[in-house]
Amino acid sequence: MRKLTFGLLIMLAVLLVACPSPATPTPEPQAETGGQAEQEADAPKDQMEEMEAKVIRIGAAVSETGKYAREGQDTRQGYILWQEWVNNEYGGIKVGDERYKVELIIYDDESNPDTVTRLTEKLITEDKVQFLLGPYSSGLTKAASAISEKYKIIMVEGNGASDSLFERGFKYLFAVLTPASRYTESGLKALADAGAKSVVIAYKDSPFPKSVAQGAEKWAQEYGMDVLAVESYPADIKDATALMTKFKDLNPDVFVGAGHFVDGVLLARNAEEVDFAPKAFMLTVGPSNPEFVQELGKTADYIIGPTQWERTMAWQGQYFGTPEEYAKRYEERWNEPPTYQAAESTATALALQIAIEEAGSLDSDAVRQALLDMDVMTFYGPIKFDETGKNVAKAMGAIQIQDGQIVVVAPEEAAVADLIYPMTPWNER
Amino acid sequence: MFFLQALLNGILVGGFYGFMILGFSIIWGVMGIINLAHGEYVMMGAYFAWVMFRQFGIDPLVSAVLVFPIMFVVGYVLQWLVINRVVERPHLISLLLSFGLSISIANIYKLIYTADYRSVTVAYAGSFEVAGLTFPTVKTIIFFAGLLIMAGLHLFLQRTRLGKSIRAAAQNKEAAKIVGIDIHRVYAITAGICVGLTAMAGAMIAPIQPIFPFMGPLFTVRAFAITALGGLGRIPGALLGGLLLGIVETLLTIYVPGTGAKVGTAVSFLILVLVLVTRPQGLLKGLRPVEEGA
Repeated sequence: MRKLTFGLLIMLAVLLVACPSPATPTPEPQAETGGQAEQEADAPKDQMEEMEAKVIRIGAAVSETGKYAREGQDTRQGYILWQEWVNNEYGGIKVGDERYKVELIIYDDESNPDTVTRLTEKLITEDKVQFLLGPYSSGLTKAASAISEKYKIIMVEGNGASDSLFERGFKYLFAVLTPASRYTESGLKALADAGAKSVVIAYKDSPFPKSVAQGAEKWAQEYGMDVLAVESYPADIKDATALMTKFKDLNPDVFVGAGHFVDGVLLARNAEEVDFAPKAFMLTVGPSNPEFVQELGKTADYIIGPTQWERTMAWQGQYFGTPEEYAKRYEERWNEPPTYQAAESTATALALQIAIEEAGSLDSDAVRQALLDMDVMTFYGPIKFDETGKNVAKAMGAIQIQDGQIVVVAPEEAAVADLIYPMTPWNER
Repeated sequence: MFFLQALLNGILVGGFYGFMILGFSIIWGVMGIINLAHGEYVMMGAYFAWVMFRQFGIDPLVSAVLVFPIMFVVGYVLQWLVINRVVERPHLISLLLSFGLSISIANIYKLIYTADYRSVTVAYAGSFEVAGLTFPTVKTIIFFAGLLIMAGLHLFLQRTRLGKSIRAAAQNKEAAKIVGIDIHRVYAITAGICVGLTAMAGAMIAPIQPIFPFMGPLFTVRAFAITALGGLGRIPGALLGGLLLGIVETLLTIYVPGTGAKVGTAVSFLILVLVLVTRPQGLLKGLRPVEEGA
């Protein structure tokens, strides 16, 4: 009896390990070439495709668990919003004279580069997707796009901003968002105009923050500011008070922290803890998200952040209308306001749809040509790709949190409020 | 002066590490179980503090006191119902079990609280100055609270009957059974205390750490390193290991330009390797060697 209970408990333990990510397939021994796996899976899939004709299968591996769980959720909601709109309202993607419904296959990549690689391979070889949408974060996009490129499957993405993604000579990777090196451009310009003279930069040691930091260094010098220090920190950092103590000693005008949402919270908290209060505090991911303001309260005030998109921006697209109209639709569906990560994910899928319609074909190379020729205005802003796959038409904005409100302060043509400089030190709030 | 400030930060970070990993160290030392769900107990404590703060405006320090009895019961029951059944099996089984626990706890919390990052903003979040040195308020409180709790726990283990049975169970399970100690009850109480303390530490860090369902694993990794460094199950060992790691990381971060934070992490793990090679029982002699029965 005792043995039986014990056995059951072991089974339970094993189940608990397996359960949380039901979408994750068990790793299968796969042939080195991948081509063999493709053929093996052919027979049943062909029958299915005959039965459900006029469906475009689009796949994505997006984080549902792990460190990018929150941003992954925004990405997924952005994709699904587009899918529901294109199927139910728009009537399906127009390819020539026919309408295609979209079947979207999304797996949980667990914020893990190995998993995203495996799932991308599975999406292509087993699920037979015709196109891919990107995961969240540059690191995961880098891993996933290496697979899609190998199979010549187009991946359009909106959440991998690192410039290094587009320096590999890939032909089938396109990104609708402004690349990382330009994240701090408008913010640093506004600060230089306000009189800032010196900058320190801290970045997480992964592709996207590194590109942001390199960009920040370049822009700071271009706008005549001294770069006093550039420090990298490991991805598993648990405490950054040492970094902040070091920066405090250098007494810069501007702090730039390049990382993701979770580092943003940590850096702000730790700066406050050691009373490192420069005249301007800039973080790459976080400040533009209403939750950052809600959770950090008065600590969040005056923090500056780059933004890919805000609902107050004045774009006007053929689909989804203005940013404000998009935001309302998003709120209705998901009961929370859209972050720019959500908006750029919808824009990602929209760009793919427009390219397929322009190409009038589902052929990878025809759609690729249509993407290269693309020059459209959307609710997310203008989209026009260069030959490396980057969107070169859209500039980055900067926001500042003022009295708990997220307001656009740069560039001038998009600004709705003046930049507050210098900020009130933490201990005087 | 600047060096003193750097050292102070290192010491405070070290105290924070030491307090954070205490429960992990004692469970490993007493039962020989590497508890991979340790970080999840930190997370549960942090969420408790967040909910109390958001819902009722209760300060995280008060929550830290409230959370102890609740998580004591959780730890006791989990040990009694589940972990006691595998505690005498090979290491791999308990490792697997605690790994399963950690994944399920994290995902249950994700279902309840979503993956959103949370934080608690307290009025005393900043710093105060004494003799020209800047003291981060929350970390200073954690440091002294941690010292107090460590001292209390040390006395409890050395002086009380229950504490002595816990040590007896750790030193020699069979002999402890022979002299009439109910091993499983002792284990359950130990687990209760450890899980309670861990959640307490979690509640206290709520104002300085981002709170999210998947914050646990990084704490578990740190706990593993510090425990092996200091000696399993030894309270002074946890403190010493934490301080060593905190000071090394902080000083290297500050004095190595460019990549100091990464060098700090690398060097602290290098120290761990050296210690394991030369002193497998840890800097202070632990209750058992690291490799025993593995």
